[in-house]
Amino acid sequence: MSTVSWITARGLFGRRRFLLLLPLPVLLVALAAISRGMGVSPSDWGPPVLIGLGLAVVLPVVALIVGTGVLGAEIDDGTVAHVLTTPLPRWQIVLPKLAVAAGVTAVTVAVPMFAAGLLADSVRLGLALAAASSVGALAYSALFVAVSLLTRRPVLLGLVYVLIWEGLLGNVITGTRVLSIQHYVIALADRIAPTNLLETTVSVPLAVVMTTLVSVGFTLLAIDRLRSFSMAGETS
Amino acid sequence: MPEPTGVIHDIGYQRYTGPRLGRRHVFGALYLHGVRTTFGLGRSAKAKIFPWLVVGIVLTVAAAVTAIRAQIGEAVMTYAQFADSMSWLVIFFVAVAAPELVSRDLRSGVLPLYFSRPLPRADYPLAKLLALVTALWLLLGAPQLMMFLGAAFTADGMRGVWDELLDLLPGLLYAGLWAVVFASVGLLIASLTGKRAFAAGGIVAVFLMTTPIVGILSVLPSQTANQLAGLASPSTLVQGVGIWTLGDLLITDPDAGIPDLGSFGPVYALAAVVLVAGCVALLLARYRKVAAR
Repeated sequence: MSTVSWITARGLFGRRRFLLLLPLPVLLVALAAISRGMGVSPSDWGPPVLIGLGLAVVLPVVALIVGTGVLGAEIDDGTVAHVLTTPLPRWQIVLPKLAVAAGVTAVTVAVPMFAAGLLADSVRLGLALAAASSVGALAYSALFVAVSLLTRRPVLLGLVYVLIWEGLLGNVITGTRVLSIQHYVIALADRIAPTNLLETTVSVPLAVVMTTLVSVGFTLLAIDRLRSFSMAGETS
Repeated sequence: MPEPTGVIHDIGYQRYTGPRLGRRHVFGALYLHGVRTTFGLGRSAKAKIFPWLVVGIVLTVAAAVTAIRAQIGEAVMTYAQFADSMSWLVIFFVAVAAPELVSRDLRSGVLPLYFSRPLPRADYPLAKLLALVTALWLLLGAPQLMMFLGAAFTADGMRGVWDELLDLLPGLLYAGLWAVVFASVGLLIASLTGKRAFAAGGIVAVFLMTTPIVGILSVLPSQTANQLAGLASPSTLVQGVGIWTLGDLLITDPDAGIPDLGSFGPVYALAAVVLVAGCVALLLARYRKVAAR
């Protein structure tokens, strides 16, 4: 484990506010357990919990907070200068940070998604959801790490993507789903474990290609932006 | 020992002898500054991007609705329904505006400067809250006014304009309810942290994670739970109060999956009052603690 990833992990877990991430996964499992316990049919509670809460809220919001936290927080308080002045190639800064962000997000989201999928249908659906949301965690993390290098307000720009693009437009204009990580994740999970709980209009090959493109493309963009990065003061 | 040679020069310092404005003016200044902050007025262009993006989208939607109505002669949505259909944008606007209002002051540690003025501790959060309520109400009210103007000029005679006005006024009141509930919850969350990024994430997380709870409660095999489901989330709570008080103005299509409240309408109104009162009380308690530091 390189020093950069060690520092990043400590920066994430060292603060109490990391505990703020816990209510979301706990709520996901609790709702699934309550619905199962009350004997509601999975076709009724599956879509609102698995997609409405799990893939549309928990995954992007956790990825947003963690992904902008690994690099954005250091840029915000200026301590990124200490990392940038070391003789490390830029990719050795971006990749460990991205790995930590994707790993933390994947663990935080995949475990409750597995539990919810298990309660909804079968072990297979649970594993499918866990695997797909881990892939989604990587894509979202790459996107949000790159965003935190492109702008000084990464969280708000990320929220524009999550709320307005995926949340609002994705439901009104279905064509925008081809550029929505949430629907790639749904398509992947549905391919691994076909059920009637997950539905999307995005095809599986497109989802695979686009997820790879998003992950690799935004990682390269982040490395490139960090190469010509200039420190600036607090924005007004 | 030589005589001290120091001289005190009169360099023209003067006491302020003009009128001293009191508490009301401090409150007014904070409020006006707050409303300007939410829209980024008097700030750099970067601070205007996100508020005006939201304003642009809601005005575009209102213009589209007005144009469709003028051409086809059929109302796409009533004034009250406008607020409901814009709920995601309202959440985003709160996530942009609330941290700007309170988190910056917490982070830069300027609160002692505010409280060294003749400003009671409760006035600071209340002025900020009022500013956010006003901003949200303007955000939801201005498009409704635009829809009203479009409808008024296509209506036949004063009679039609009067009917439109009677539709508009409840819509504006309903927008006010949205503004009060969302502003008090959002400002409370934002006042907990000095980091704008975390405040924005927290606000969105709280508003979005409550919606699926409603979805679960409304499929439980108990009718009482179904009818009380809307209480779990701020947006459905506001919608419930709207369904109870406005009725037909909010429900134009009975098949559209409007939640059934049963006889629990007053419970929704009471819950909304309790939620707002609770959030304001917690906000005041929070500022008692912050101000004491």
